[in-house]
Amino acid sequence: MGFNFSYFVTSFKQALLYVPVTIKIMLVTFVVSFIIGTIIGAVRFYKIPFFSKFFSIFVTIYLGLPVTVALVLYNLIFLTCYNDFANFFHINKQISDINPIFVAYIALIAGYSCNLSETVRGNLRSIDKTQFEAGYSIGLTKLQTFRNIIFPQMIPNMIPGLLNNLIGILKGTNLVSTIGITEVMVAALYPCQETYSYLEGYLAAAALYWIIGIVIENIGHFVIKFSSKNNKEVWNYD
Amino acid sequence: MIELKNVKKKFGNNEVLHDVSLSVNDGEVVVLLGPSGSGKTTFLRCINFLERADAGILKFDEEEIDLKRAKKKQILDIRRNSAFVFQNYGLFNNKTALQNIMEGLVVVQKRSKEEARKIALDSLEWVGLKDKADYYPSQLSGGQQQRVGIARAVALNPKFILFDEPTSALDPELVGETLSVIKKVAKKGITMIIVTHEMSFAQEVADRVIFMDGGVVVEEGAPDEVFYKPKEERTKKFLARILQKDMYYI
Repeated sequence: MGFNFSYFVTSFKQALLYVPVTIKIMLVTFVVSFIIGTIIGAVRFYKIPFFSKFFSIFVTIYLGLPVTVALVLYNLIFLTCYNDFANFFHINKQISDINPIFVAYIALIAGYSCNLSETVRGNLRSIDKTQFEAGYSIGLTKLQTFRNIIFPQMIPNMIPGLLNNLIGILKGTNLVSTIGITEVMVAALYPCQETYSYLEGYLAAAALYWIIGIVIENIGHFVIKFSSKNNKEVWNYD
Repeated sequence: MIELKNVKKKFGNNEVLHDVSLSVNDGEVVVLLGPSGSGKTTFLRCINFLERADAGILKFDEEEIDLKRAKKKQILDIRRNSAFVFQNYGLFNNKTALQNIMEGLVVVQKRSKEEARKIALDSLEWVGLKDKADYYPSQLSGGQQQRVGIARAVALNPKFILFDEPTSALDPELVGETLSVIKKVAKKGITMIIVTHEMSFAQEVADRVIFMDGGVVVEEGAPDEVFYKPKEERTKKFLARILQKDMYYI
């Protein structure tokens, strides 16, 4: 079985069309997961009654659940329960009218929020205790101290961890194909169905993921370099 | 007037404060002395609720607050009427000297940015650091950082200021500049409670000296009394060690 370059190019071109889809899933998942993860991390760090315990159990259990399993599970629940749900709320949309991307977002965001919450919590613990106390001592509330003092200080330290998560999410986006959403990998395999050029198809998908990954890493390295060299500018958020 | 009654604090099985009471008049400068582990710092932190005491009452502004069961609003009220100067400076790392002082003025006291800026600059000038306004804590020396910390405390115009070993983290050369700023604060007539190991400074600045050991107040009185005519055996022993600290036996 030889390598046919023109098949590779066909697959690559086809996959290229779906790069925006992959990027969109990645960014939406990352941003929302980061926000939720920050909240979960902060709740657990501050030991807020009930919620802290709840999230601690939730994260422990959920971190062990593979994203693919979650995806398929949620999709099955969605498919079987949608009609009852729609009838109950008098929604006049058919199940086929609803984009399964929402199921994908729920599964991805739930999973990566747990990952990111641990990144946030770890960084929160590394902030010097006096920074919190100084905030309280001048009369700031806990929330004000977190928002104005602690969180801005966490960002530069968190960049490598965030980058790691972002690339993890990029690789995770191809799992949404299990519930029938077309993204880079599925698109790269489209032409292969006629020509049986699966090697070229997968290589084309791999090449694209590499390229996106390298771009993200380089942006990240630039940010890290910037933040360590010009500490002053990065610290200045006002 | 600040009054503290029967303050108790345990860390696990270790009883750090064993029934400490103290009252400080308006404008008075009280210095807490004592060996390490005597509970001075813990006591100071309990006043500002940085540490939650196990028992005790804080009377301030006609209001009695149970130190153990204080509500959020009461805690915030005490904190907004006081300021704390930390041993390791406690400046916000992500803010310049000027922004450090402005933070409380803008967020807590709800002043306009221009007004806060003016107060902050005046305060920095008062500690002799106006030219360092736009420097970040990491770009300042320890002594300068502590002076900014004091400027931040004073700018908030608090009813009382708590100093937690303000010079312990500084090298001998930088101690002087910080102490002279604290003396300036004392001259302003702000009520202060100072924990320090600087004996000559304590003698100079204090209206009253309190000697603590083992979580209790051993002796208290005017500085000259406590330093030169200590009544308690424990105080005598401590002062003998401290005042002769230049003598080393090898």
